[in-house]
This record gives sequence, C-alpha cells and structure tokens, in this order.
Amino acid sequence: MERTELEAKIIELVAICYDKPQDELSLETNFKDELKGASVQMVALAAEIENELDAFIQLQDAAACETIKDLVDLVEEEM
Amino acid sequence: MGMLDSIYEKAKEHPVRVAFPEAANEKMMQAAYECARDGYIVSVLVGPAAELRALAAERGYDADVFEYADTADEALQAEIIEKFVARPDTRLKEKALARRMQDPLYYAMAMQKAGLVGVTFAGIENTTGDVLLAGQMMIGLKPDISTVSSIGISEIPGFEGGEGGLIAIGDSAVCTNPNAEQLADIAISACETVRTLLGCEPRCAMVSYSTLGSGQGELVDKVVEAVRIANEKRPDLAIDGEFQFDAAISPEVAAKKVKRESKVAGKANVVIWPDLNVGNVAVKIIQQFGHADSYGPMLQGFDGIVCDCSRGAPVSEIKGNIIISAVRAAALEG
Repeated sequence: MERTELEAKIIELVAICYDKPQDELSLETNFKDELKGASVQMVALAAEIENELDAFIQLQDAAACETIKDLVDLVEEEM
Repeated sequence: MGMLDSIYEKAKEHPVRVAFPEAANEKMMQAAYECARDGYIVSVLVGPAAELRALAAERGYDADVFEYADTADEALQAEIIEKFVARPDTRLKEKALARRMQDPLYYAMAMQKAGLVGVTFAGIENTTGDVLLAGQMMIGLKPDISTVSSIGISEIPGFEGGEGGLIAIGDSAVCTNPNAEQLADIAISACETVRTLLGCEPRCAMVSYSTLGSGQGELVDKVVEAVRIANEKRPDLAIDGEFQFDAAISPEVAAKKVKRESKVAGKANVVIWPDLNVGNVAVKIIQQFGHADSYGPMLQGFDGIVCDCSRGAPVSEIKGNIIISAVRAAALEG
C-alpha cells in the first residue's frame, strides 16, 4: 500500500472512531488536544486498523501517538 | 459476619468460572488453587495445558482441581473465535482476533466475551495499563458509559453509617481527572457495582468542598454538572450532591446543611470523589486514621467483570479479590 493511500485510510478510520468529519482531519491533527478522545476510542481505532489493514499494533504504542501522522508512521512500520 | 465472610458464602452458592491468563505465576496459581479447592470458583488456567498441569503437580497441587483452556487446542480456539465474532458488540474480526489471542490475557478475555467464563483475573504480571486496554478491546464498556473507573469498599471500625458500617468510595485508583460527564459515569458505575456486590440500594453522594452552593468555583461547578448529568442519565438511581463529606455521611450535619429533601444526604453508602488527588489521599486517610479494612479497587464501567490485582499483592489479598469478582459476575449472570 502506498503511503498516501495509507494516510487516507487511517484518516477515514479516525473519522469513524472519533465521529468527526473527514475534512476536519489532517496528518497534523492532535489526538489529545483536538480530538479530545478517551482511551476507548483509541482502542476502537486500533481494532479497526487491525481488521482493515491487517496490521498488529501494540495498544500502548497507539495510545502514545500524539498526531495522526505518528499513527500512520507506526502502522507503516508494522505492515 | 463481616463483609468478606458474607461474600465468601455467596460465592459458594454459585461458583463462577474464572479464567487465569497468568496461571504459571506461583502466587496466582496458589490463589486459583485454594479458591477452587474450597469451592468458591471454578479455576480455568489459560495456557499450554500440559505445562500448566506439570507445574501444578510439581508445586504439590492436585492438578485435577483445575480446568485447563489449552491455548494450543485449535478446536477450542475456533469455538471461541466463532462465538466472539458472532456477538454484535465486539470489534475484532477473525484474523485480528486470532492474532490477539496469542497473548493469554486476550485469550482469556475472548473466552469471557464468548461466554465460556464469567471473569478474567490478571494483573500480577501484566500492568494495570495492559489489563485496562485489553479489557476495553475485548470486553468493551457498558452502553452509555464512557470511562473505566474503580471503587473500593471500606469497613471502618466504629463507623455506623453507610451500609451497616460499610462505605463504597471511588474513584481512588484509575480515572485521574474526570470531566463532569466522566464523573457522572463513575457515580453510575459505582451504584451498579454496589448493587451487584452488596445487594443493597445505593445512596450515592458526589462530594466537594461545597454543600449545595455554600462554596463557589470551577471545581464545585464540575461536581454540580456531574450530578445533573447522572440524574438525567439514570433517574432511577439515588445520586445527589454536591455535598461536603460530612454532609454526605452524617445525619446530624446533613440536617443542618441540607435544607431540602434528599435520599442521600447524611446516609450515603457510596461516596464519589471529584478527582484522583482527593480519592487517593482520602483512601490513605481512611486506612491510616480509620484503621479500615479496604477491599478493591474493583474495576467498573466494563461490559463484564475485569480484574486487575496489584503486582505486589499477597496470596490472601488475591484470593479476596478473586472471590469478590466472582460474586459480581454471578450477580451479572443472574
């Protein structure tokens, strides 16, 4: 999967799990400050990534991601 | 009969199947063994069955006291996966689930979600963070609950209020700085936990440095808003505040400070702290000055019973928490 395709897919999954319009999200979007999500949403996102992208990510590593770009980097590393 | 004695009696009436994903750990195996041998639970050891059986025998236990969920048994894994993914409230699909189940903690929780055991008991090798994240992924949260939290139950010598001298307090361990909505969820979860464990009607006070507007400020506003949200979400529960701690538990103080009808003021059996600073300090004061026996922390908010014991816990404490968890699970199973 190309990097740009991966970025688009993860932004799509973030939008679903955090219930946000996709056009409000970018690679720079910050999970804590902008999405203000609880850990349960990050866990749901990790599950979606595992299901849709067949990438296994440690939940602790996912929870440590500050931005969507950090998460894309993490998933790319695992794929 | 003390609280723990009465809970032990209840556990024996309906022994619940409890999964132990850290079964090879010496303290955990001893606690699982003694609980099962004495008829409180059915202990299901999760891992390589032959190795666990040999380890049990080597440690001098009757290996037949345990049941084994053999992680190498492909038929069992297929059964768990089939039952797990058939549930509408689960997240992982077959392939991702099978991969997660390589970890015995996730394997045990998958068994629980699939209905093969009532409780997963862990925490002696996994961190609290591991258990909380695994619980959120595999068990999920209750509908309308947005946060995991905890309560403890204290038996304080000389205290005659609460519920026969017992008082439930929370959150003193998990949710650090809840917002108003999370604080409301902690109160609602605490009421459910108390109802299932003690079988009594919760009277839940949300405490602050103010009683019904006697003090002002954003810290008070948060508690007032939490009471409003909790009452809106669960009008069937007696959740009230904001109260100072004495107005919550002392009928004499409540009579002076609370000048309106309240099912809770002066007779609370559940007290919810505004944040973890208060909760942690308060529980230490209760233990140090009140010489209380404290049970827990019990995790709550999950759509099932998830347990995390302290990594330094002695076997006696582990056993108490296993049995408390089993009784909570039996109440959920009805």
